[in-house]
Amino acid sequence: MWRRSFSAGYRCLGRRRIGPKGTWASRAARACSVPASPAGGISALQALDVWEELFEERGVSEPKHSADHIVAHLLGAKTRESLGRRNLTEILSRERTEQLWELCTRRLSRMPVQYVIEQWDFRDLTLKMRPPVFIPRPETEELVELVLMDLEKTCGQAEEGADAPLTCLEVGCGSGAISLSLLSSLPQLKAIALDRSQDAVDLTRENASSLGLQDRLQIYHIDVMKDPEAVLRLCSPVSALVSNPPYLFSEDMLSLEPEILRFEDPSALDGGQDGLDVIRQILTMAPKVLSDHGRAYLEVDPRHPRLIRRWVEANVEELRYVETRHDITGRPRFCILQKRDIRKGP
Amino acid sequence: MSAPFNNMVIPPRLLSVDELFGHRSLRDYLKKVETEYSDCLRALNRGAVEEEVEEQPSCSEDELRAKRSKVSQLAPLVQSIRELEAKSQELAETEVLLKDEDPALRELAELERDGCLQDIQDLRQKVLDQLIPEEEADLSDLILEVTAGVGGQEAMLFTDEVFDMYHGFAQHHGWSFDVLEHVTSEIGGLRHASASISGPQSYKRMKFEAGVHRVQRVPKTEKQSRMHTSTMTVAVLPQPTEISFTINPKDLRIDTMRASGAGGQHVNTTDSAVRIVHLPTGVVAECQQERSQLKNKEKAMKALRAKLYGMKLEEETSKRYNQRKVQIGTRGRSEKIRTYNFAQDRITDHRISMTVHDVRGFLLGEELLDEMNCSLQEFSNQETLMELLGDNDQDQEAS
Repeated sequence: MWRRSFSAGYRCLGRRRIGPKGTWASRAARACSVPASPAGGISALQALDVWEELFEERGVSEPKHSADHIVAHLLGAKTRESLGRRNLTEILSRERTEQLWELCTRRLSRMPVQYVIEQWDFRDLTLKMRPPVFIPRPETEELVELVLMDLEKTCGQAEEGADAPLTCLEVGCGSGAISLSLLSSLPQLKAIALDRSQDAVDLTRENASSLGLQDRLQIYHIDVMKDPEAVLRLCSPVSALVSNPPYLFSEDMLSLEPEILRFEDPSALDGGQDGLDVIRQILTMAPKVLSDHGRAYLEVDPRHPRLIRRWVEANVEELRYVETRHDITGRPRFCILQKRDIRKGP
Repeated sequence: MSAPFNNMVIPPRLLSVDELFGHRSLRDYLKKVETEYSDCLRALNRGAVEEEVEEQPSCSEDELRAKRSKVSQLAPLVQSIRELEAKSQELAETEVLLKDEDPALRELAELERDGCLQDIQDLRQKVLDQLIPEEEADLSDLILEVTAGVGGQEAMLFTDEVFDMYHGFAQHHGWSFDVLEHVTSEIGGLRHASASISGPQSYKRMKFEAGVHRVQRVPKTEKQSRMHTSTMTVAVLPQPTEISFTINPKDLRIDTMRASGAGGQHVNTTDSAVRIVHLPTGVVAECQQERSQLKNKEKAMKALRAKLYGMKLEEETSKRYNQRKVQIGTRGRSEKIRTYNFAQDRITDHRISMTVHDVRGFLLGEELLDEMNCSLQEFSNQETLMELLGDNDQDQEAS
């Protein structure tokens, strides 16, 4: 019944203008005709069918996953699979149905699901998401794993009774995913996080509060490209420097899918002509913020590790390139470097 | 109609505790246990004395270690046997008093006798429980796997209902039920699914649910009201600990959505499904239950480990369980263990020929399923006991 009324009813008005991020979606949604929410009752299962089909018709990427995640979220679950048969076949309340329609309509504008439901999971944490703050990618979960393995070893080797203050610095914290994951897994860790975007700083602060980690996290609104000295003034040497810096090549920015292009902060993605602008800045700064034998961990583009190794060897004497690690798909994704004390040697 | 599910013409019967204790082979066995225990103790004491006076030991160090282990293993059972003997003695003494002239004394004796009889029942049950050796896997958690069998959509709908039933069963027992895989069909129903269940006695109980379950009913889509028979299979795999079973990461291929394209910052997807293939065996596990890719990977690994461990166990235990009726293991996988007949509103477990009514109630996974499951346990225990006693009889005849 629903399918017929939709195909008959809707028409999409031509190309839409690109407005300021975040607000674009609601304007466009009103401009484009969207099916009204059903007057009679509809079950979650039926709603899933309806919206999956509609997403597909409108060329929305991952139509099935989009519908699944939105409906699941509305019913208080993380995924469709965790919803029991009973939840799926029960008729939704009027209020729920309207909420569902509103959320799915946002997705029609290609708003990423994470922004539509305003949250996403990262490792063991559930974090608030808000445009245009960068949405954490799965690869970054592995970056945290690498840092944790090293830091846990350090904790294990620390002398008994010695007050071993463990601190890490994150450059470009976005939603706070990396720092908050580290803090959550290591009770003795303190973290400092920076971002050039006030939105990111605000969101990280909110997430830290929600997770009760605000006491161990200091957050600063600093742009390492414009004001690297500010970073040096902040803190005494840290054990680890972590970053998922903007690493896309500028020319790649144009081929990004609408979800990213229209909604995520481009300055969180664009790394310059060779994607290394911010990375070079961070690595130049690294020896000044790291303690002796402290390590820097970066997530990068698969083309970068070779280039970074060569550049560091030529330009940053105090950093030793330790190794390149691969992500779950086998791509070279993570660079680990260590500060060496040049007075004493490698 | 298919062939009978077991070779016995007479349906099996659960013997009562008294009947079991009436068997001479049981009494013989208990005596044997006591004798073995005393012999071991004597040997250990002799060993201690020999050491003190620095005599040549009559038993090697290894033999002594084995005896020590035997003693601690048998101690609880021997304790119960002795308590039972003491109570039986007490009962005999009380029964003498029943014939006493004094009515007050007779009354007291009657009360005491009732108490004694109850204690003897309890102790006998305790002895029986202690006689059944605990399987190593009984202490572990499990992975539950359901797969739709013959019957098209009907089979898949039934698989969905059975999966839900075990979800209810887990909740009924306070176990955790963590869905790892869940593959539905476009036309409705569940193709296959798996869940990690953990909690006390979870594997011990759930192991009896493994096998082929059959449903007989008129499907919703059936226009001519014909009865259909469909099947689904339940597999129960004990969940191994990290130490007891390791997998080489080099043997694994991990597939994700991120594999295509550049990945990383280039792409934002919400498809975090992970699929792991164990290259040497071709065994596959996948998970898309979570939004975090890392968590999906962890769950898929968990499912994979259980599958591989299950395969390893099957090799080891298939010989042991060949003779039994209440099958647990390889043969149990393809054996039809239970029929759910909606028209007649009954569920029959074929291993113990037990029938209960109220299919809807049964599918909730609460008391009705629990009762049947307990009966299965009791039968299985009895079979183990008979095997134990049978082996003992054979040994005795041989010697």
